[in-house]
Amino acid sequence: MFRHRTLLAYALLAPLLIWLFVTIAIPVGYLLYLSFINVGIAGTGGKFVWFDNFINVLGSKRFFQALRNTLFWVVGNGLLQVALAFLVARLLYKRTHLNNFLQLWIILPWVIPGVAAVIIWRWMLNGIGIVNYALEPFTNEPVSFFANPTIAMLTTIFINSWRFFPLLAVIVLAAMRTIPSELREAAFVDGATDKQTWRFIMLPLLQPVLYVMGLLGTLWSANIFDVIWLLTKGGPSGGTTTLPVYIYEEAFSRFKLGNAAAASVLMSLALLVFVILFLRTGWGRELGKKS
Amino acid sequence: MTMLTRVLSIFLLLLLVFAPFYWITMSSFKTPPEVIAYPPTLFPQQWTLQNFQKLFASTDYLSYLQNSFFISIVTTLITVTLATLASYAIYRLEFPGGLFIFRLLVGTYVFPSILLLIPLFQVMVQLGLINSLWSLIVANVTFTAPFSVWLMRAFLENVPLELEEAAALDGAGFFEILLRVVVPILRPGIATIAIYTFITVWTEYPFASQFIIDEARRTLPVGLAGIIGQYQIDWGLLAAGGVFMALPVVIMFAFIGRYFVEGLTAGAIK
Repeated sequence: MFRHRTLLAYALLAPLLIWLFVTIAIPVGYLLYLSFINVGIAGTGGKFVWFDNFINVLGSKRFFQALRNTLFWVVGNGLLQVALAFLVARLLYKRTHLNNFLQLWIILPWVIPGVAAVIIWRWMLNGIGIVNYALEPFTNEPVSFFANPTIAMLTTIFINSWRFFPLLAVIVLAAMRTIPSELREAAFVDGATDKQTWRFIMLPLLQPVLYVMGLLGTLWSANIFDVIWLLTKGGPSGGTTTLPVYIYEEAFSRFKLGNAAAASVLMSLALLVFVILFLRTGWGRELGKKS
Repeated sequence: MTMLTRVLSIFLLLLLVFAPFYWITMSSFKTPPEVIAYPPTLFPQQWTLQNFQKLFASTDYLSYLQNSFFISIVTTLITVTLATLASYAIYRLEFPGGLFIFRLLVGTYVFPSILLLIPLFQVMVQLGLINSLWSLIVANVTFTAPFSVWLMRAFLENVPLELEEAAALDGAGFFEILLRVVVPILRPGIATIAIYTFITVWTEYPFASQFIIDEARRTLPVGLAGIIGQYQIDWGLLAAGGVFMALPVVIMFAFIGRYFVEGLTAGAIK
């Protein structure tokens, strides 16, 4: 339709590509450079030390603790959010006034800043808070939700999931409604129960959406920093220090920028490997289905 | 699902999502002794505005609000413009290299924003943008534009190619077609990416906490995060801060949330 189509396309893309080049390509190159010099405080220089930073990071217990915590964090958030999102979407599947209202407003936890979510939950989970009051008949003393590393981690996962599951629920719900209702109706005629239609018809058909959510959701949640930092500062005793928190601490509290850069490079590589594996296995499955 | 499980599930969902908002709002209107009273009162016995007065006296709330609005609005304008042009180029003008560019954009997700915090800080130092709100605008466009390009795809598919061809036959130039034919049809998509961008910028914390040094230039989340640690824990004040941080986006969402939910789902599932 247009002459010089390719030229036009690149002209339209140029602003975004230049923008991303300056804010991603240059910083990533710079990150690689920083990971090879012994630099302390951001903005200062240092000398080239080959792989010393990587050796420091890979030799520290804190890094491996952070790596373990990140895996636990990602898997915990993934399971909890997908389960909640699926159950809620199923609950709101029928188009009623109440369900339409809920579909819009359950997304509320996602639109507020993480800082606000942190204030809300710290207040509710406090020793004299409403949650402990509600639990009083079942417990001897107030539950300390952030006292021990495991409980603190589970609490933090819960609060983060509270923020993000509504968004996923809305996406799953939309996907569910694109599935023709005749499929379930036919199954009902054949004598299937309600539960069976969800298990054997809807869930398999939702796989592509769950698949995209699994990929993006993992990258997003691996990246979460603010909620963890503001809730626990990574504690107690490093129990909630995931890799982003570790990197932030190395760079801005311990002033070991070189180590932080090396850890960032390692984390990018880990995510890259994850994405490649995910796409490989996922594509394999998709292709298998078609044949 | 039986009626009983359904009613019970809806009740649990309401409790999980809305009870926290109810509780923080009620707490913000309680007097200091009542807010820490045990057992807690479900409803303020004596309503007071003193927590909000304290919030305004002890923080620079209005500056934070203004800063947050400024960066959210400017970032939204830039992201919408760049993403609309780019997605039009990628999905509409079939050109050599289009697929590669698309993969490149998707590839940016492999670098989570926290990894960019350190090097981007250095870039901002070089550009002289540290402590300027523009540093946050520059960074936030990067976090929101690629996802916006991808979201736009589903909406572009709804624009009939014939419409553009007809306009071209009538002698309309490229920009005329884009502005008069394509953009009006893309309105729901533009609304969706605008709201997505606005909320992402509004809630962003780590970059805003590192790039800005002056108290008066802080954004809402960073400015009010200060009250978490700064004082003796004053739950009434924190509750008031939480309410005032959520309020602007909740009001906004009441008016335009519908378009976002509709648009997001249209874009997300294709």
